[in-house]
Amino acid sequence: MPRAALTPGRRIGQGPRAFAAYVPAATVIAASLLSALPIVTTSGWYPNFGFLLFISWRLLRADPWPAWWAAPLGFINDLFTGFPVGFSIALWSATMLALDLIDRRTQWRDYWIEWVLAAVLIAIDQALQWRIARVVDAAPPFTQMVPPLVISICVFPAFAWFVSRIDAWRLGR
Amino acid sequence: MATARPGWSRRAQYGLFFSFLAVIAGIIVGLILLVLSLVAPQQFERVRGVALDVTGPVAGGLHEVTATVEGVFTGAGNYWDAASQNAELKRENNAMLQRMVEAKAIFQENQQLKATLQLREHERSTIAVGRVVGSSFNSPRRFAILSVGESDGVRVGMPVRSPEGLVGRIIDSGALASRVMLVSDRANIVPARLLRNGIPVIAQGRGDGTIDVRPLEVGRNPFKRGDIIVTSGTGGLYPPLVPIARVVKLVDDGAVALPLADPSKISFAIVEPPFEPAAIAAENVPSPAEAP
Repeated sequence: MPRAALTPGRRIGQGPRAFAAYVPAATVIAASLLSALPIVTTSGWYPNFGFLLFISWRLLRADPWPAWWAAPLGFINDLFTGFPVGFSIALWSATMLALDLIDRRTQWRDYWIEWVLAAVLIAIDQALQWRIARVVDAAPPFTQMVPPLVISICVFPAFAWFVSRIDAWRLGR
Repeated sequence: MATARPGWSRRAQYGLFFSFLAVIAGIIVGLILLVLSLVAPQQFERVRGVALDVTGPVAGGLHEVTATVEGVFTGAGNYWDAASQNAELKRENNAMLQRMVEAKAIFQENQQLKATLQLREHERSTIAVGRVVGSSFNSPRRFAILSVGESDGVRVGMPVRSPEGLVGRIIDSGALASRVMLVSDRANIVPARLLRNGIPVIAQGRGDGTIDVRPLEVGRNPFKRGDIIVTSGTGGLYPPLVPIARVVKLVDDGAVALPLADPSKISFAIVEPPFEPAAIAAENVPSPAEAP
């Protein structure tokens, strides 16, 4: 980016950090580990941090990690959040695939389209969680899934902003 | 899979194709694991236990910090208006003392009656005492993380209670921490009865922190607001007469109740052995003639 070189206050020779390629995956794992927070509630309205960060990275960049990393990242998320093992593996891999296919079709992207895409993905995530809970006869009425869905969609921009800051930091911009 | 056309490079094209295959493989593996974990959850007991051991102590440590901070604030709050609080507590204390004497008399009478009936008293033993340090705050299921695990003797299937009431039962256990399915989880069905008149009811979680209670027999709605629901001991997992919930709202075929042991407020959770392990073992063996 030659224009970036002209911005004042920029140190010469500043490049990507060491391990810059692993930073995105590391932040997703850290977000999955947020389930260890001592939040004890009986509502379940908190967003699925791991998934939100995962799609934030993928929407920001086409290649935050090799595509097949989605499976191990999902496995880690399943283990720490207590979802049935395999749920996030399949969903996250499918998300990578779906977004790659969408990338081929779309001619242009802006914040609104990204937000709508994210909203659709979050809705799919919530609907599947609900569906899985129904398999073991543990699903609440679907109306109960609406508040966490709305909350997740509303906080997505915060995650996207956070990811863009991390991205700038890891690339030394 | 960065771009649609990687150019003329054969290597780049193959790389794209193989990463595509890898993602498909990821989806398939995920689906297989998902089906496995739904059909045979015990397959993943070990690995889930290890994950619990990683997060459990972290959650426990963070819990101590938040508890201390909260304690400072509520502690400061207690000094506010201390004089009138003190007077009120004294009044309550006097009333309690009277009730306690009555209760002691009833207890002795009860002992005598039981002795004449020669009822075999179940010994309530405690396996472990832990704290609730986390919960499934981003899922439609209602789980909590307990700070005791297999090293304390906790095993999958044990009932968990607190001094206030029933909490749930263990579904995953690591060496240092375990996961509890709360009574407010949709999949947790507890045989119970009304404390007021002993009518048998079924308590099932609603997934939002409340509990659905329904009478076993169809007929008039037996519930009143404020009714206490206690376990009946049927099924052999939960010990009888543990308070579960208080009825807060009546609906057409039952009532909605609020658990007495709020996992976010209870200070300790007690893990107990299954009440009648023999009954549970017998239940797990499929029998042709099952009692209705």
